[in-house]
Amino acid sequence: MLKMARSILAGGAVLALATASASAQDAHNSVAFVPQIVGIPYFNAMQEGGNKAGAALGVKFIYSGPTDTNPVDQLQIVQNLINQGVGAVAVSVLDASSLAPVVQAAKAKGVKLFTSDSDAPKSGRAVYVAQATDEGLGYTIVDELVKRVGDDAKIGIVSGEATASNLNAWIGFMQQRAKEKYPKLKLLAPQFAGGTAERAAQIASDMMTANPDLKAVIAVASTTCPGVGQAIETAGKVGKVIGTGYCSPNTARSYIKSGSFGFSVLWDPSALGYLTVWAGKQLIDGKPFAASNTVPGMDHPVSYDDKTGVLLLGEPAVFTKDNVDKFNF
Amino acid sequence: MRSALFGFGARETTLLAACIVAFAVFALASPYFATTDNLLTILRNSNELLFLSLGMTLLLAMADVDVSVGVTMGLAAIAVGQALQGGWPPLLAGLLGPIAGAALGLVTASVVVLGRIPAIVGTLGLFGVYRAAIFLALGGSWLSGIPDGLTRVLGARPLGVPVAIIVVLIAYGCVWVLLRRTPFGPHLLAIGGSEERARLSGVAVKRTRFATFVVNGILCGVAASFYVATYRNVATTIGGALALEAIAATALGGTSITGGRCSLLGTAIGVVLLRLLQNGLLLMGVPSLWQSVVTGGLLLGVLAFEVLSERVALARLNIWARAAS
Repeated sequence: MLKMARSILAGGAVLALATASASAQDAHNSVAFVPQIVGIPYFNAMQEGGNKAGAALGVKFIYSGPTDTNPVDQLQIVQNLINQGVGAVAVSVLDASSLAPVVQAAKAKGVKLFTSDSDAPKSGRAVYVAQATDEGLGYTIVDELVKRVGDDAKIGIVSGEATASNLNAWIGFMQQRAKEKYPKLKLLAPQFAGGTAERAAQIASDMMTANPDLKAVIAVASTTCPGVGQAIETAGKVGKVIGTGYCSPNTARSYIKSGSFGFSVLWDPSALGYLTVWAGKQLIDGKPFAASNTVPGMDHPVSYDDKTGVLLLGEPAVFTKDNVDKFNF
Repeated sequence: MRSALFGFGARETTLLAACIVAFAVFALASPYFATTDNLLTILRNSNELLFLSLGMTLLLAMADVDVSVGVTMGLAAIAVGQALQGGWPPLLAGLLGPIAGAALGLVTASVVVLGRIPAIVGTLGLFGVYRAAIFLALGGSWLSGIPDGLTRVLGARPLGVPVAIIVVLIAYGCVWVLLRRTPFGPHLLAIGGSEERARLSGVAVKRTRFATFVVNGILCGVAASFYVATYRNVATTIGGALALEAIAATALGGTSITGGRCSLLGTAIGVVLLRLLQNGLLLMGVPSLWQSVVTGGLLLGVLAFEVLSERVALARLNIWARAAS
């Protein structure tokens, strides 16, 4: 009786060990993505693309992120994933200045840490999967606006968190474009709304009050889009002030149709999620990126810049009244 | 124990003076500040916070707190938004707000009062739960482009006065009657002063606390209806910062955060001052980061002023005591 019990116990222990090592193997062959915030359509689409890539490329995809755009919470999630020993972790960085020590911790554990969607260039990350160049995005929105409101208009900017490096980079290129190509264009200093639509609406309406000659408002963070669109409608300024921003077609649709938004600029986040998981898989397998890469499941080659360590998805897309219904994210 | 409620005490006077000074400075600095349109904008931006802070005033006076008011409003707003999208008559959808709020208030009251969990811990837990419920209810996509039926009802101006202002006055009036003309008021303040003493002197502590949390829920629901009418959009981040703003405005207004003292008028002025500053600083072109420094500094300043003046008063008392002996 005692013997039997002992052998059962031993068998159980062996089984437990086997599953433990199997799950360690699983963990190593998995790519995690940590968004800036969960539960918004934009990152949901990235998650969807990641899931698709996971199935297509034979790698486990983990999606986990903070419920608020809080850099500290985000870093804790990254740290947890590193401790679990996943193969690669991608982060859409909220605070570029605090990522470097985490990259060190990841290296010590043999985890590939890289950035996607929002970068921390000086952190030592393995690669940055970029949706479009920051330059392309910043320039496109200014060029498209100038087509509609002229090159001497006054334009307001409503952003999200003041620490989000991607948003700040886009704003920087908007200002650069205005300075170099449209010297008469007047871009107001950016205002930061945090993550809520109500604050964005308040800021946008105050901006229109302070500047009766305002011609356009740019919603830089996707969370500020509905606020800006609604503020223009509430102020009765549809047709006088054009809203725009980096917003998904689903978020901007009703405002594009009501005329409070002229257009919106973005890329396909589900393709970005797909590319992120592919990049993670390459890193885990130790395969280097070529100057031009053919990614299974994507219809165009993806370029890689060795100097900056940036893997580029492609050109930004412009969504207008005419094509907005063709997209669902 | 002071309970100025609607009366004019020292704090109300200080705050009103601060409002007037801020108003004068902004009016001088920006030609667009002192316009009817802009003042109406400030009132509209104060609207939700006025309701949430009214509930917070009752809770803080009782030495309770609810840090989940913003997300409670968010959940009720989802109910209102989905009802409107489902084609409900606007008025009925608008009433759904306070009803959903009451239901959520019941849940909060059950957890905190019946579950005997300290309010700050219990409502912090519920904050997480309600936030998750918002994610689940929205399924990760926002309600946007909500039909404007409710906007037309609540945005109306009978006799030139916005409905929002009328409802705010009714809500504050009802709570004032509750506090001043019924035993509820003295009971609430007694619990805030000392729960144990209140119980020993025959106050139905549990019932009073339970009822207050439900009233707070209803006020969150009223705020939700106005939110949906104003913004016609519900995002998953809804209400994130509102609870802290409500606590700040209430404390600014002279309600003691350790209980036993409250001022409805102070709360209302506190909310308007907060929004007035945010609006005026933006109109002056002050960068957003400094705006939060100014509002945070104001709160610290007022609270420090109070501590100092209490010390001065105590020192005077000591002098009197010594002189007498």
